[in-house]
Amino acid sequence: MKKSLLLGNEAIAFGALKSGISVAAGYPGTPSTEIIETLQRFKDRYVEWSVNEKVAFETAYGASMMGAYSLVTMKHVGLNVASDPLMSSSYTGIDGAFVIVSAQDPSMWSSQNEQDNRYYGLMALIPVIEPYDPQSAYTLTIKAFKLSERVHHPVILATNTRVSHVRGPVEYEEPSSPIFGKLKKKPDKYSLVPEVAKKNREEQLKRWELIQEEIKQFNEIEGEGNKLIIASGIAYSYVKELAPESMKILRISAPVPLNKEQIISALEGVDEVLIIEELEPIVEMQVKNIAFDAGFSIKIHGKDYIPRSGELTPDIVEFALKKFLGLYYEPKAIKIKDIPPRPPAMCPGCPHRSSFVDIKRGITLGGLSQTFFSGDIGCYSLGVLPPFQEQDSLTDMGSSLGIANGVYRSTGVIPVAIIGDSTFFHSGLPALTNAVYNNLPVLVIVLDNRVTAMTGQNPSPSREIDILQVAKGLGVEYVKEIDPFNLKESVKIIADATSWVKQNKKPAVVVAKRACALEVIDKFEELPIAEVKLEKCTGCTICYDYFTCPAIIPREDKKATIDTNLCIGCGACIPICPYQAIELKGKIPKGWDEVWRS
Amino acid sequence: MEKLNILIAGVGGQGVITLGKIIAQSALISGVKALVAETHGLAQRGGAVNVHVRLGEVYSPLIRKADLLVALEATEALRNLSYADENTMIILNERVEKSVLPKIRMLSLEEIKDRLREYKVLSVNADKIAVQGGNPRGTNIVMLSVMMELKLSKFIKEDVLLSLLDERNRKVYLLGKQFIKGWLYAK
Repeated sequence: MKKSLLLGNEAIAFGALKSGISVAAGYPGTPSTEIIETLQRFKDRYVEWSVNEKVAFETAYGASMMGAYSLVTMKHVGLNVASDPLMSSSYTGIDGAFVIVSAQDPSMWSSQNEQDNRYYGLMALIPVIEPYDPQSAYTLTIKAFKLSERVHHPVILATNTRVSHVRGPVEYEEPSSPIFGKLKKKPDKYSLVPEVAKKNREEQLKRWELIQEEIKQFNEIEGEGNKLIIASGIAYSYVKELAPESMKILRISAPVPLNKEQIISALEGVDEVLIIEELEPIVEMQVKNIAFDAGFSIKIHGKDYIPRSGELTPDIVEFALKKFLGLYYEPKAIKIKDIPPRPPAMCPGCPHRSSFVDIKRGITLGGLSQTFFSGDIGCYSLGVLPPFQEQDSLTDMGSSLGIANGVYRSTGVIPVAIIGDSTFFHSGLPALTNAVYNNLPVLVIVLDNRVTAMTGQNPSPSREIDILQVAKGLGVEYVKEIDPFNLKESVKIIADATSWVKQNKKPAVVVAKRACALEVIDKFEELPIAEVKLEKCTGCTICYDYFTCPAIIPREDKKATIDTNLCIGCGACIPICPYQAIELKGKIPKGWDEVWRS
Repeated sequence: MEKLNILIAGVGGQGVITLGKIIAQSALISGVKALVAETHGLAQRGGAVNVHVRLGEVYSPLIRKADLLVALEATEALRNLSYADENTMIILNERVEKSVLPKIRMLSLEEIKDRLREYKVLSVNADKIAVQGGNPRGTNIVMLSVMMELKLSKFIKEDVLLSLLDERNRKVYLLGKQFIKGWLYAK
């Protein structure tokens, strides 16, 4: 047994290793990414970043069909992409053991919504396990695998930001040998033609009965009294710290499905109940159902005391507890106002900043007087902010092309679809196929920075597969590449592509290719640096107000200066300055250009 | 056992997460439980970031009221004031970093200090001390030495902490220590 400081996600990875996983797949997404990153250090098993969540899911699902122990990881919205095989996996059941990690993001720190994926458990009839700290993330991952193995059914492990991205002491054991599969064929189980599916549906319901029995071991009653607190997942961490000692608490680590007898026995002798859970009333609905059927007439509080939106905080839990215990408590509200906002920004040297400048100038020159910037998910989502404002919508992975189609069909306005390289392969491909197939006049800009950058420079298929060739192969007739730092040339090509789209009423693809700046600076010891020639600088504000590189700072006299700690010497600002007042100094390291352009 | 709640605030890229990690690692080796809640992903790209560090017999990952509110950038102390009360010691790095949004007016250091006048504030030019120590990126380590001197040393051992720092950071740490000792003496 070792004890280390681990991130919740690392603890999940070690739990999976201890369980003997042999195949793991995932698509990066906050807050799930570090699970696969940790597993990749272990070379005696197969671990991959898949092209999207659906393929990742099927990879792990397929492995479990062969009897392997497998894991798939994704962020909560990723499970929407994988929901098709998710539903089937519950019908077929599995051999081996199969755990699905869905990392939720209440409060939407890094997501487009805060959907509660415990609903997927209720819908698909798949048990949901919910850890409450890094140590429980480790232990419950192991228990999830054991459950899956015993009942031959997939299991969802629903972690969240405040488990996955919390560092804490974790006691854990060395990895077990990987349990791979052996070729076996069971078409009467895994080939879901109607005859098999109908039989599977009955089997699935039988397994669900068994799961309701097995699930008891995940939940536990502590303390006693005539008031009961039911705390699900992360809520337990807050309750444990804030509730009076010896209070009766039912800790729920498996909110789906609840066991009827266990809930009834917890409710016996109790006058009033408070259910604390994040987001949706999943436990509350089930407890109320059970209580009603069993004839209890006691007051059950839940979402009347705990908000349905946002993550739990100690303040929220304390307020609910005090109210429940009849104690007076007035939360002290501190008004914080007039603080300059500080949203995240594209990094110094980010090629997307230059691309956004190129696009705006290019389409204007190409004669597109009005357009709709159909955006997508990635670092470039930040293009929604001023001064760029070139993401008029961004709704889900790969949405740029589909939404663009709807915009054009309903308005006749030619849209510009902006999509990153990883997102392009994730789910942009079918939408681009559709654009060719249905003749959509759209200017597609693929921002190809060679990585899945937002989640921490995870690899992207663009390193192996040439997007230009893919677009040509799909039948796109106008395909060109630009270097976003080359302002003049890029504007010219985008303008040309724009007029081509207008004329031909077909899609054109322009690939803006340059490496993620974070990838580049990792590879060099010493960097060049930009310098503002003050005698040439007129204080026009373009570099810091219309280009907004974080390393360019306005002086009191409005002239620009360079923050030497932030500047990475990329030179992207040089063509932006209309007065040629910015120059590079310092030595350009060997291989500099090759790395940027690789 | 006593608990210690530290909220570290700053701008993504300033070493906010690293600072939390160093404290937690030293705590673990010193035999003290530590929980650190971080925000990753989109949150760290030059945006406002905070990290909750909790030491002692703790379960909740998030802080209600901080014993120490450590701002690596002064504006960020204001943004996180809901975690402070009259008992909180606010450690302020005397740096205002421009938000990347265009045409935005930042508050000056004086304006920020003025808004904090009802709180306990320790103001330190950590950037300058870091540069003096030969490591311009060592601002977070200067703040670490101030935290050690004020509250942290009850929970973590200094030799453990020093063993986790490389030589450059050790130098910065010691310079910071000199500063805070001088400050406490003057007080």
